[in-house]
Amino acid sequence: MGVPFKDIVVYLDGSESSMTAAMYSIKLAVEHQAKLTAVYVVNTKALSELVKAGIFVAIERDEYQRDLQADADRYLRHVAKLAATKQLEIDTVKLEGAIHVVVRQLLKEQKADLLVLGGITDIRSRREELSSETDRMMRTSPCPVLVVRDDDDIWLEFEE
Amino acid sequence: MILLDVLDKDLVKVPLTASDKQGIITELVEVVANAKGYSTQQFEDMLEAVLNRESLGSTGIGNGIAIPHAKTNVVKQVTMVVGISRFPVDFASPDGQKSRIFFLVLAPSSAASAHVELLASIARTCTSNVFRRMLESAKDKDEVVRLFME
Repeated sequence: MGVPFKDIVVYLDGSESSMTAAMYSIKLAVEHQAKLTAVYVVNTKALSELVKAGIFVAIERDEYQRDLQADADRYLRHVAKLAATKQLEIDTVKLEGAIHVVVRQLLKEQKADLLVLGGITDIRSRREELSSETDRMMRTSPCPVLVVRDDDDIWLEFEE
Repeated sequence: MILLDVLDKDLVKVPLTASDKQGIITELVEVVANAKGYSTQQFEDMLEAVLNRESLGSTGIGNGIAIPHAKTNVVKQVTMVVGISRFPVDFASPDGQKSRIFFLVLAPSSAASAHVELLASIARTCTSNVFRRMLESAKDKDEVVRLFME
């Protein structure tokens, strides 16, 4: 167990709450003098599901795959820039596949001692509970997980 | 992003009244345009985007469901309309079954991840035969919303 944390991973999905988590993890990494890795997963599993379900045609899948790659690059660049404003150099990792599976693999390979997530909402339906990737990552993570509540104060504090 | 993140009672229509594919798509796009106060030009832009996508291949996915969708920068965030028709409409689904449950998904080009996740969430949500039958039988928009929230 690494306390204080030495190897932190933050998961990004482009949502506002994952950006809050990124800011929080940057501050945490600075305070703990820890290594920080930002990971974004291009959800190729979802793309495959859409083709299989007949929702996407092949040409559309290819177009969206390019869009998703561009999204990933954009968000990872953005978080690296945010970290730089706090004089922190971070690693960025872009993965492809089923989100909770590839994140778990990364955490294990890297021997990370903390996973930082944003975006846990109240359970609104039984079906949702079964399909939330954030929930799956929490349940399958090999290391402790820190869930950052989406909070304006974190943005304000970060910008100070 | 999942279906419940974008489910909005103002963007649910029960019943849809059109009787063909183009009419259903037009009616769904009208729901967004009316609810969001979009101009005629914006309505036409959204409709054109959806019909262009439809021309690549039908979005009728079988089991009585169709998910017309498109990228359009008229919407500022991923937007979903749910419509239920009393009468089955031919959407050229691969199983030959006509559709009664419709999801229109519109997303700005900058929201590819959320767009893909929402479409996958809709597909997962509608895998249950029982759930589809309950949706088809929904009497009004309140009942549709309640079914998704259960």
